[in-house]
Amino acid sequence: MEFEDGAIIDGVHYHQFDVVIVGAGGAGMRAAIEAGPKAKTAVITKLYPTRSHTGAAQGGMAAALANVEEDNWEWHTFDTVKGGDYLVDQDAAEILAKEAIDAVLDLENMGLPFNRTPEGKIDQRRFGGHTRDHGKAPVRRACYAADRTGHMILQTLFQNCVRLGVNFFNEYYALDIVMTKVKGKDRPSAIVAYELATGEIHVFQAKAIIFATGGFGKIYKTTSNAHTLTGDGVGIIWRKGLPLEDMEFFQFHPTGLAGLGILLTEGARGEGAILRNASGERFMERYAPTIKDLAPRDIISRCMVMEVAEGRGAGPHKDYVLLDCTHLGAEVLETKLPDITEFARTYLGVDPVTTPVPVMPTAHYAMGGIPTNVKAEVLSDNDTVVPGLYAAGECACVSVHGSNRLGTNSLLDINVFGKRAGNNAADYSMTADFVPVPKNPAGFVLGLVEQLRDSNGTERIAGLRKELQEEMDKNAQVFRTDESLAKVTETIHVLRRRYKNVSIQDKGRRYNTDLLEAIELGFLLDLAEVVVFSARNRKESRGGHMRDDYPTRDDAEYMKHTMAYLTGDPHSADAADHITLGWKPVVITNYQPMERKY
Amino acid sequence: MSEVAVVEESAGVPGGPIQAFTVTLIIRRFDPEVDAEPHWQDFDVEMYPTDRVLDALHKIKWEQDGSLTFRRSCAHGICGSDAMRINGRNRLACKTLIKDLDISQPIYVEAIKGLPLEKDLIVDMEPFFESYRAIQPFLIASDKPDKERIQSVAQRAVFDDTTKCILCAACTSSCPVFWTDGQYFGPAAIVNAHRFIFDSRDEGSQVRLDILNDKEGVWRCRTTFNCSEACPRGIEVTKAISEVKAAILRGNPGLPSSDLVLTPVGA
Amino acid sequence: MTTIDAPRTPHTPVTKNRRVNWEKWGWLYMRASGILLVVLIFGHLFVNLFLGTGVKQVDFAFVAGKWASPFWQVWDVLMLWLALIHGGNGMRTIINDYAHGRPRQVMLGLVFAAVAILIVLGTLTLVAFDPCPTGADPSLLPSFCPASSK
Repeated sequence: MEFEDGAIIDGVHYHQFDVVIVGAGGAGMRAAIEAGPKAKTAVITKLYPTRSHTGAAQGGMAAALANVEEDNWEWHTFDTVKGGDYLVDQDAAEILAKEAIDAVLDLENMGLPFNRTPEGKIDQRRFGGHTRDHGKAPVRRACYAADRTGHMILQTLFQNCVRLGVNFFNEYYALDIVMTKVKGKDRPSAIVAYELATGEIHVFQAKAIIFATGGFGKIYKTTSNAHTLTGDGVGIIWRKGLPLEDMEFFQFHPTGLAGLGILLTEGARGEGAILRNASGERFMERYAPTIKDLAPRDIISRCMVMEVAEGRGAGPHKDYVLLDCTHLGAEVLETKLPDITEFARTYLGVDPVTTPVPVMPTAHYAMGGIPTNVKAEVLSDNDTVVPGLYAAGECACVSVHGSNRLGTNSLLDINVFGKRAGNNAADYSMTADFVPVPKNPAGFVLGLVEQLRDSNGTERIAGLRKELQEEMDKNAQVFRTDESLAKVTETIHVLRRRYKNVSIQDKGRRYNTDLLEAIELGFLLDLAEVVVFSARNRKESRGGHMRDDYPTRDDAEYMKHTMAYLTGDPHSADAADHITLGWKPVVITNYQPMERKY
Repeated sequence: MSEVAVVEESAGVPGGPIQAFTVTLIIRRFDPEVDAEPHWQDFDVEMYPTDRVLDALHKIKWEQDGSLTFRRSCAHGICGSDAMRINGRNRLACKTLIKDLDISQPIYVEAIKGLPLEKDLIVDMEPFFESYRAIQPFLIASDKPDKERIQSVAQRAVFDDTTKCILCAACTSSCPVFWTDGQYFGPAAIVNAHRFIFDSRDEGSQVRLDILNDKEGVWRCRTTFNCSEACPRGIEVTKAISEVKAAILRGNPGLPSSDLVLTPVGA
Repeated sequence: MTTIDAPRTPHTPVTKNRRVNWEKWGWLYMRASGILLVVLIFGHLFVNLFLGTGVKQVDFAFVAGKWASPFWQVWDVLMLWLALIHGGNGMRTIINDYAHGRPRQVMLGLVFAAVAILIVLGTLTLVAFDPCPTGADPSLLPSFCPASSK
């Protein structure tokens, strides 16, 4: 159909932009800063940009600046590959590590107030898995701004978007991508979004679309993720039959506040904090004798769960371990780790200056997501690019994180690949034309919204979501078995059926968050199923995916990425009837897989 | 209200049995599609002392009344979505623990004041962001360094406090001057101006000082300290505003000179 | 729609060089006059109520005696002007904060009138003050008056 920019047809608003970015977290705004000045750009975001969860990142952003000690990007590449348990595409990791340096300097030049060395340069601290000379000793590579590095990145990017006059559509929920058949191939032509304030539907026709929608940690109960991280973007892509890569790999951050999941930065251990079990033993010495408490997150989380399982947990129920910061002194805590000090005081009533803090692993980061190449172009299979469609940040899988992301590499990822996505999308939009939008492009979303608003079902959103999250925590968390995963699969199937019978209480149009929670739950159910189905299929233990029934890494069989496709009716009873799995080879350049020891 | 039940285990903190209380929340509701005026509504919820007000709101929304509407995201005080008036004080719902309130009395919850009420606890944030954008909240610097700009630890420390701002509007909407005069820039905009005025790398401080020397600028601040009390990030807002006033009178920010430890070349 | 407009173009400081920045000078005045008034008022109270026989000594003769000296005349004129303008400006800011439109104009007018009238009357009294008015009760006059009975 044809329309003018700004037209309203049958109550649906139509817009035209060269580049439409979905999501205004770190990756989205970094892309906007590149695309904004070159092309007519819109950013559609379900939250005000500064509410994005990039702001919750604490510890730092890795780059081999070598400001405080010898370092180079090749070591960083190696650490990233090894940290990801060799399931990292090494060409992408190389780009990540190499462009890290410029990414940090870009941010500094944009105004980010990094902590400084006595010489006035950007200060750097240690972080898990980052080592000198291929694993010899921890290296100071993480550039940081106290323990609010993510907050400062988010603010700095937003500030620069304000400077450039970037066009934000705040509190617009992207709910669908419109695909148009061109010469027998599906091409993205528009984004359909729901405006929270009014309940109206908007169609954004675009030459290039960037997905930067973040993760989906809310499939778990105990998570460091925000309530709004429901994987809408990843879910939209999934429902279009485009593949998702490596979904079984979910990172559990070792130091979440016990019972709450609120994050305590790995930077605490970078500054010297120690994990102890009930008897006060520094148990990581047993598991990773070289770098101890600075081993990568997957390893530490696993060790913590093992300590608790073997009865060495602390507390009255022996169900957590302790993060001991007491020897760091009040000054280090107040100046370098002020936020986490406050979190512990506020939420647990524990003062880290004097008392070790109860911690347990918390669902933190999806390594998997929308497969892209190093140009941030989305792939429709192992190597076919979808023209005009880009993804960056946690929602994407390049894959630079492999099966386990190193701390500080995500803030890096959003900046390096956000920038690439923005540039490439803007360049593409200058050579491409609009793909025509089919008739009634908002039909799917209108139907979805209508159906939920009018539904008289008996099920409630919160109940279903709670059951999903608790089941995922119980059976698809740090340790998994075929049996536990089978249970989750069954639960998800039942929940999905019950979800059809769900009703909402708020029938209004303005600020109907009840309605959106219902839609978000739909995405969560879809993604949880993919996570579990992919996890069942990978009969080995690697990085963030730990199978009790297959406790070792199996390079002969599984040194490859999982590619999951939706190929049938998502409501069919057996997930195998609608999910098809394939494999994608891992790009190996310099580093042959070795046993992962720290 | 003060009915006490001993429950085996808390949802929040690990540990021994913790008492759950029935807490009454009185929430100021407003549905623009139905109501002409806002009205107060009572809800009883079972809470643990270590739960947050946000948990109580979620419990109401998820178990009692799905139409209760509020913003929230990170739930640990870093995204700035859920600033609201709790018992007459501006706070983040996710950082206000039930045990820190007097639960023998009902807890009153309403939207922040001074911004247009949209629905229940949601206000229109546009006027707030309008003031923020007006103070040019971005680094203005003409040089194009190859590497990072150099800044000493002391120079960085001068504006450290104001970099913590999460733009939640708790300060601005607690300011009595802002309540009666929406034109006033408000504490949050001044805090964000401060963050750049006192950044040694910035060259635009004169412009921002001029903007804040305006009729609706810093001179409207009556030093009531409401903003400092409201700030969930512990920023000394009133102090920051005073420093901006002093800088305007001085005509410059008066930054500390660099105190770099210079290392000899090749060291 | 909630699109964010382009940021304001570089702000043109309207008040600069052309008009007096009342807010800034008003703010400064309040601080400066405040400090001076502390000295003036406490000095005044100390001399009137503490020195000598204290509050019992204050009568026409005492006041007339003080105002015969240019030092105390200047002191009291200063105190009068600073305090009235200080108070008037304080009232002005409160009215500006809480009143709008016509009521604001009316109240500002009243405050201005009150301050102006009090300043003019007070200043006249101080400047044109005659410590030895003819025909007054001699027992009330200060000792240096020819008609004094002290």
